[in-house]
Amino acid sequence: MFIIDILRRSIRSLLSAKTRTILTAFAIAVGAFALTLTLGASNGAQSYTNVIIKDNFDPTELIVTNDDAIFSTTDESKPKVYDQNFGSVTSAGGTSRQIRMLSDSDLTRLAQVSGVESVRPALSVSLQYITRDGQKKYVGNVQSYSAYKQPTLLAGSIPSNLPDKTIVLPEGFVPSLGFSSPQDAIGKTVRLSVRKQFDQSAAISSLLSGDTSALTTSLKTAPTANEQNFTVTAVTKKPSTLIQPGSALNLFVNEQELVKLNDYTTKGTASYHKYLSAYVKVANGGNTTKLNSVQASVKKEGYGAQSVLDTQKTITQVITVLQGIVAVFGLIAVVASVFGVVNTMYISVLQRTREIGLMKALGMHKKDVKRLFRIEAALLGLLGGTLGSVVAVVAGTLLNPVISRQLALGDVRLLEFKPTQIGLLIVGLVFVAILAGLLPARKASRLDPIEALRTE
Amino acid sequence: MITITNLSKNYGKKDAEFTALSDVTFTIADSSTVSIIGKSGSGKSTLMHIMSGLDHPSTGTVVVNGVDLFTMKPAVMDNFRASQMSFIFQSFFVEANQTCHQNVMLPLEIAKVPLTKRRKLVMEALEAVELGEKASNLAGSLSGGQKQRLAIARAIVNKPSILFADEPTGNLDSTTGEKIMSILFDLNKRLGCTLILVTHDADLARQCGMRISLKDGRVASVETVPAKKGQQ
Repeated sequence: MFIIDILRRSIRSLLSAKTRTILTAFAIAVGAFALTLTLGASNGAQSYTNVIIKDNFDPTELIVTNDDAIFSTTDESKPKVYDQNFGSVTSAGGTSRQIRMLSDSDLTRLAQVSGVESVRPALSVSLQYITRDGQKKYVGNVQSYSAYKQPTLLAGSIPSNLPDKTIVLPEGFVPSLGFSSPQDAIGKTVRLSVRKQFDQSAAISSLLSGDTSALTTSLKTAPTANEQNFTVTAVTKKPSTLIQPGSALNLFVNEQELVKLNDYTTKGTASYHKYLSAYVKVANGGNTTKLNSVQASVKKEGYGAQSVLDTQKTITQVITVLQGIVAVFGLIAVVASVFGVVNTMYISVLQRTREIGLMKALGMHKKDVKRLFRIEAALLGLLGGTLGSVVAVVAGTLLNPVISRQLALGDVRLLEFKPTQIGLLIVGLVFVAILAGLLPARKASRLDPIEALRTE
Repeated sequence: MITITNLSKNYGKKDAEFTALSDVTFTIADSSTVSIIGKSGSGKSTLMHIMSGLDHPSTGTVVVNGVDLFTMKPAVMDNFRASQMSFIFQSFFVEANQTCHQNVMLPLEIAKVPLTKRRKLVMEALEAVELGEKASNLAGSLSGGQKQRLAIARAIVNKPSILFADEPTGNLDSTTGEKIMSILFDLNKRLGCTLILVTHDADLARQCGMRISLKDGRVASVETVPAKKGQQ
């Protein structure tokens, strides 16, 4: 028999039992639906990860610490010995981890590693408050502006080097500070106040010397003397993809201003000119091999270093596990549908016993009989697979805006469908259906025409 | 020509052995009309199955047009049956949910006749049994006699050299049955195909040129008479 004849007969057989065909196809469609959504979510999560990384990290930079304790799990069961060179990081769960801080000499050493373009300490200064004339005081956090970030601007502009005494304001501060619009804020002055830590060593020496006037003056004047004026140069739109909560309200000044603010708040404390981590920019860091080789050299110097690639790997791992779970459910649905196909095909063989018997009596080859039923099963797989994935794509496309709004993801689409993937999925399901049809097809091919055509 | 030599068929083993055919030998000339007659259980169906290669004998040979059926590989045997043999059954076995055209097409599909030649052959066959106008009707809508005519059209579409008819009139009233028989005898004359009729109806058997009578698996008698004209 020609394939075209077998195909035509298979289609005719499926059409002659429409309800059965559709119900069986539905079973496969459920699996196809789940797997299509899994694939879509997987793609979406992947691109979401990439957007997050791009929005939050400069891929040409390494995050360097004095030791790599921050990147790895250490033995948490024993108390740590105090070391004044150590800073500590407290996690949300309350566990503290000691991190040996980086000093200025470390930064110099890092800058000398070959392939390193520049080094900047990772600083984040908590303001006492930010305000402007006639407005309330608000808490805030200042970071240095990295040209890499390229935030979306609502007003103003950011020169490639942010000038001294200028500030980039996130849109959240616009109404709070009494500006009528983002445009209104440009060129206006805001006041930042940082708290000076109580300088223990200075106080002790002044007390010992008996001359307490300097101490008294410093204690009295400190609260008012630390306000500084900054001019708003740009207002940024709230980014949709930030990993740290609250970071949408970060204020940005240039590197030098931030160091000055930081020095002011840490002077006289153990953390003066000590940094938890530093950003090491790699020359041509976009090149993965360059980045990896510099990362290796930095590690060889005894520092801990992590690149965006590592971060990406960590996030991807989590996503992969979640996908795996959903995929397993999809596969279970497919396995369940296999039994549906087997059942349907057996019924089809039983119903067509005489037809098969006649065809075999008329000289139809065993392998053609097998093919007839395998093609019928394949068509069921094709129908179910197409049905399920089309419904999934339609549902996903309709749901995407809703999901993005609910999760406040901004422009990111959480479900991203790729035609080649879906095509492969359908092909896979067709193969599964053919496998499911193997036993019934074999039964059909082994039918004895004499038995099948017996009328007595 | 069909030559059957020392054909035996046993079912079961040892104690439960049952002999369906025993030492059957005869020769059928080309284009003849043959009836195999016998009571139920006489072995006539088994004989037909072995002659058509659907069943294997325990001993003996069947040589059809110079070819020993049971030396062929299954696939070759399939091709041989597809090109040389056809069947008509008591219960018609037409596919009710397919059109007459589709029903008649089946042997052509199995014999891999090119698609372009099929339509003409199908219409010729349907017209030979006066069903040309019903080509696109569903087989299920036909009457019993029409169904058997459709089965005949399907049987002759591939121009076989041997046509097996197993109680072809068994499910029909006598008038319709006579009509079917006249069509079969007419086709035998026009197409020159050997007609082998399996029946327990003595009147029907008498119309054939060669009458093989079976009893308990043995040939009771072989009569050869000048064939009565198919038409009464």
